[in-house]
Amino acid sequence: MLRFACRNLFRRPIRLLLAGSGIAVSVAVWIVLSAFGDGYRQALGGELQRAGMQMMLVPLGCPYDAAARVLQGRSLDISLPADAVDAVRADPDVAVAAPLLMAAMPRPSEGRTDLWVGLDRSALALKPWWRARRGRDWFDATNGVILGAETAAIELREPGDALHCPGIGATFRVEGVLERGGTADDALFFIPLATAQRTFHQEGRVTAVAIRLRDPARIREVAARLQRIPGAQVVTMTEMMGTFLNLVGTVRTLMLALAVVAMSTGVLGIFNTLLAAVVERTRELCLLRALGASRGQVFGLMTLEAAMLGAGGATAGVLLAFAVGHLVESLVKSYVPLPPAGSLVQIGPGLVARTLVLAALAGWVAALYPAWRASRLPPALPSGTP
Amino acid sequence: MNTIDRSPSPADPVIVAAGLSKTYPRGREQVRALDGIDFAVGRGEFVAVVGPSGSGKTTLLNLLGCMDTPTGGTLRLAGREISGLSETDRTLLRRRHLGFVFQHFGLVPTLTVAENVALPRLFARRAEDGRVGELLRQVGLWDRRDHRPHQLSGGEMQRAAIARALVNDPSLLLADEPTGNLDSATGESDIGLFRQLNAGGLTIVAVTHNAALSDAAGRRLHLRDGRLA
Repeated sequence: MLRFACRNLFRRPIRLLLAGSGIAVSVAVWIVLSAFGDGYRQALGGELQRAGMQMMLVPLGCPYDAAARVLQGRSLDISLPADAVDAVRADPDVAVAAPLLMAAMPRPSEGRTDLWVGLDRSALALKPWWRARRGRDWFDATNGVILGAETAAIELREPGDALHCPGIGATFRVEGVLERGGTADDALFFIPLATAQRTFHQEGRVTAVAIRLRDPARIREVAARLQRIPGAQVVTMTEMMGTFLNLVGTVRTLMLALAVVAMSTGVLGIFNTLLAAVVERTRELCLLRALGASRGQVFGLMTLEAAMLGAGGATAGVLLAFAVGHLVESLVKSYVPLPPAGSLVQIGPGLVARTLVLAALAGWVAALYPAWRASRLPPALPSGTP
Repeated sequence: MNTIDRSPSPADPVIVAAGLSKTYPRGREQVRALDGIDFAVGRGEFVAVVGPSGSGKTTLLNLLGCMDTPTGGTLRLAGREISGLSETDRTLLRRRHLGFVFQHFGLVPTLTVAENVALPRLFARRAEDGRVGELLRQVGLWDRRDHRPHQLSGGEMQRAAIARALVNDPSLLLADEPTGNLDSATGESDIGLFRQLNAGGLTIVAVTHNAALSDAAGRRLHLRDGRLA
C-alpha cells in the first residue's frame, strides 16, 4: 500500500513539487520563527549572565535604552557624575561597582565607528572570562590599550604595536589582545578609565556603573536606595531581560501568527492537492472499490498519501530552516533590541520533533475530507454506470 | 451449444435472480433498467449477456458485481441474498467471490503489470504466494511483468486484466465487453483464454456485442428493454 500511495503521489510531479514546496516553506517559516524566540531568550540570558552584574546605574532617560547601549558597548549622550560611583560603592550591599565610560569614534573613511571603553580594575570582577590571548591582561601604562579579539583582527595590531586614533589625535600602545568571548566586548577598545575621561573630555564623569550585589536576593531594596542618587536611575538585569522579552514576545506573537498563516497555507495545499486527486481519480477509485477495496482501505490510501506528502514537505522544510536560519537571523538581528552575540535561531531536536508531529497532524486533518469523499465513492465499472 | 434460455434451473447455481428489477429516478420519471427478470447461472457455466445499447446489460452486471442493489426481486450470489447485505459485506463478497474484466481494462497506470495483478490480493490482505507469477505465466505476460500498462498492447492489457480478475480465485468472472477494445485477432485470442478458463471450471458471465464471444459462451441471455427476450 505504501508503494501504491507513493506511485500515486508521483503521478503529477509538478503538482507534488508545488504542494511539497508549500509545506516545506510553511514548516521552515514555523521552525525559524519558533527557534528565534527560544534562541533569543537563551542568548539574551547568556549575555546578561556574562555581564556579571545584577543591575546598572545609568543617567536619567530611558533606562532600557541606556542599559542596552552600555551592554552593546555603545556610547551615551549623557553621563553620570563621578560621585555617583562613590555613592554606589558606599552602599553596604554592593560587592562590586565598576564605572564605565563609553565613547564612539566615527571612522568615516573606513565606514565604521570604533567604540572605546574606559574601565578600572573593578570591572575585572564582573568579567571572569577576561583573559589575554596575547600580551598583558591589564594596563601597564596610562596610554595602554587592550583590544578585543575582533578589533585586533581588524586593526592588525599585536601587543607592543602603536595604535594611533586620528579622531582624537592620540597614540596608544597595544598591551594585550583578549580571548574571543562571543560578546560585544570582542569589538571594543579598552583603555584605563582615567585616560578615557581625559581623552574624551569627560573628566570626573562616567557613562554607567555596573553593579554586583553581595546578596542578589536583596536586589529590590538596593535598587530602591540607589534610585535616590541624583541624575541617575537603576535598571536591573531581570527587569531588562523581562522588558526585552516582553517586547520580543509581542513581535514573536505577530511572527507566530504569520507562521500559523504559513502552516495553514501548507494545510490548504495538502487539502487542495488531495481533493484535486480525488476528483481526477474518481474512476480509478471506483475501480479500486470494484476490485475489493473497502471504504477504509480507500480512506487509508488517501490519508497515507497525505501523510507522505506532509512528511516529505516537512522534512524538506526542516532542511530549509537549517539552510536559511542564519540568513533570517542576520536580517532579524538588526531589528531586535539588544541583539545578543550568540545565535538567535537555535533549532533543537525538540523543536524539529514538535514541528514534524504538528505537520503530520495538520496533514492528516487536511486529508480527512478528501479521504472521506474518496471512501464514499461507490464501486463502479470503469466504462461507467447508468 | 448456443441457446436462448430464459429460466434454466442448474443443480448448483452461482447466480439465482428472481423478479430482478432496477429502477432509476430521472427527474420525476422512474426508468426501469431491469424489469423483473428471472434467470440462474450454474457453477462452471459460460453465459453471454447480449442485447442492444440501453437494454439493461450494464445494470445487470452492476447488480451481479454487488456494485448496486436491486429495487425489486431477489438476487442470490454464491448462496447469499445481496439485497440485505451491508456495504462491508458486499465488499467482502466482491473480494472473495468475484473477478472483473472491463472493456477499458481498468489497469492502474502508475503500477506495473505485476502490481496491477496483485492489487485485489493486496485489498484482500492475502500474502503473495506465487499466484501472481503463476497467472502472469498463464496469460503469457511473465516477461512483461515490470512494464507499465501504457507499454502494453491492447491484447496484453486485457490479459493483464484477466490475470488480475483471477488472482483471488473467484467463483464467478464478470466481463464487461472484454473484446470491445481489441482488434479481431486479439479478441479471438482472448476468447480462447475465456474458453480455457471456463474449461477449467470457472463460471463466466460476459456482457458482449461480439458474436464470436457470445458463440463461445455455452448460453446466451438476451436482454431487450430490461427484460429477457
